[in-house]
Amino acid sequence: MDISLIIYALNLAAIYSLMAIGISLLWSSVGMINMAHGATFVVSGYSTLVASSWIVPIIKASLAGTAFYTPVLVLSMTTVALLSGAIFGAIIYLIAFLPLHDKPNFAIRSLIATLAINIATVQLFLWWFGPRQKALPKLFGFGRIDFLEFSIRYDQAATIVGTLLLVGSMLLWFRNSRLGLEIRAMMQNPEGAALSGISIRKKALPVMMLTGSLAGMAAILLSQTSFLSPTAGALPLIKGLTIALLGGLGSIGGAMLGALLIGILEVITGEIPFLGQRYVLLIQFIFIVMVLIVRPRGLGGLLDETRK
Amino acid sequence: MNKILETKKLSAGYGALRVLHEIDFSIAEGERIAIVGLNGHGKTTLFRSLTHLVGWQQGSILLNGEEIGGRRALGAGRKTPSIIHAGIAMSPQGDAIFPGLTVDQHLDCGAYKKESWKNRESKKQQIYEIFPPLLDLKKSLVGKISGGERRMLSIGRMLMEEAKLYLIDEPSLGLAPKISESVIKALLMVDIKNSAMIIAEQNVSLLKGKVDRMVGMHAGRLRGDVGHISLG
Repeated sequence: MDISLIIYALNLAAIYSLMAIGISLLWSSVGMINMAHGATFVVSGYSTLVASSWIVPIIKASLAGTAFYTPVLVLSMTTVALLSGAIFGAIIYLIAFLPLHDKPNFAIRSLIATLAINIATVQLFLWWFGPRQKALPKLFGFGRIDFLEFSIRYDQAATIVGTLLLVGSMLLWFRNSRLGLEIRAMMQNPEGAALSGISIRKKALPVMMLTGSLAGMAAILLSQTSFLSPTAGALPLIKGLTIALLGGLGSIGGAMLGALLIGILEVITGEIPFLGQRYVLLIQFIFIVMVLIVRPRGLGGLLDETRK
Repeated sequence: MNKILETKKLSAGYGALRVLHEIDFSIAEGERIAIVGLNGHGKTTLFRSLTHLVGWQQGSILLNGEEIGGRRALGAGRKTPSIIHAGIAMSPQGDAIFPGLTVDQHLDCGAYKKESWKNRESKKQQIYEIFPPLLDLKKSLVGKISGGERRMLSIGRMLMEEAKLYLIDEPSLGLAPKISESVIKALLMVDIKNSAMIIAEQNVSLLKGKVDRMVGMHAGRLRGDVGHISLG
């Protein structure tokens, strides 16, 4: 298999993993299935688009040609994406979590509520921005890095490295911070967490803002290779949901492994002559279903067991 | 004598099942009492209604004179964190452990107040002195330790924060006699000068003569002091 295909698979895997981790984390810590994650993706994308129309000219005017141009551009656009994702996550908290979390059937009701938010948001953006695809500014330029025998595009490198950095620092923060400990406690035993004075009602907000910003990161990374439209969140949402299930809800490692497998599968399917791009979703779904039949709880925890 | 806890006509249950029948109960400052009775008669439900974890409940619960009860049929667990912050600490049946966290991290979770979180290392030292076996298991995943060790951990986590009312549900459940004795011994040594402790136990002999009074619970009703019942 060609190195460039592996890089393409890693690129896809990085973006999918960001969506999947967001779904998985929220479901296992708070009990909420977030169908509005696709809306968060779209909101972040358009927020970045709007912000870029103001900010990019300023940066271009003052820093074009200097070494600071790219870093400042990347930093400012990424900040906008992460922030807008977090803010929309907070909005979903207010609309779908707070009114429903202590009433019966919260899981189903939150699924319906977030689905409604998703539909409403997409329609709102269709009405305001129109259905045409828009391109976000290219943050990383059009160059390639060549070393050894392979070459990798700047944006591919940025996606893979950026995702690893973001998820890595998130995991580090999880292990070392008080909020991270509280979130892990909520994931593992909601009643035990309540008895330790941890209020799921209050902690759900930072979790939803964090997962919202992950969707924002996914949006800005995916926007480097594809176009943004109001319906652009649907596919990332579906992939995020299914990969979260594949990886096992609550397992970040599982979500990343699942994203990697799905990314590889997508690339392989695209290359096989009699299949091609049209069969990607079908093959991916068949794969996920087969894994879940054999191991319903998902991939998470696979390594723990084999060490026994 | 200050009443730490007072319940008036406390009823609670799950769905159509009423478990507690209009319980009137109180415990004063400095008291360590045992609620004894067979399984299924409401001891756990009583504790869970005090911490708002039952299906539904009604009736007044006064903690240090402040009302925390009322009528509720939805949202089990919603008020629990604030009740914990108000000063009730519980070590529930089943220990409520986090399988993926270490012993040390469990104790960290018990320190929910800002001050206690900052000083948690010294508090953990105290807990390790009360329960020496936990010290060796500091970095062990709690999913992999024994039942007795989990019980000690659950109680240790409860003791990380000073509470007004300590509720311990069946400390000896599933434990070998030697370990139950050491767990009970640790409970009896907890300083409750300004607080109170209620231990729910099936095994009367473990606590006879060691607590201020014993109250019987049968079919969801309290049946008065049973300290005079002799065994064997």
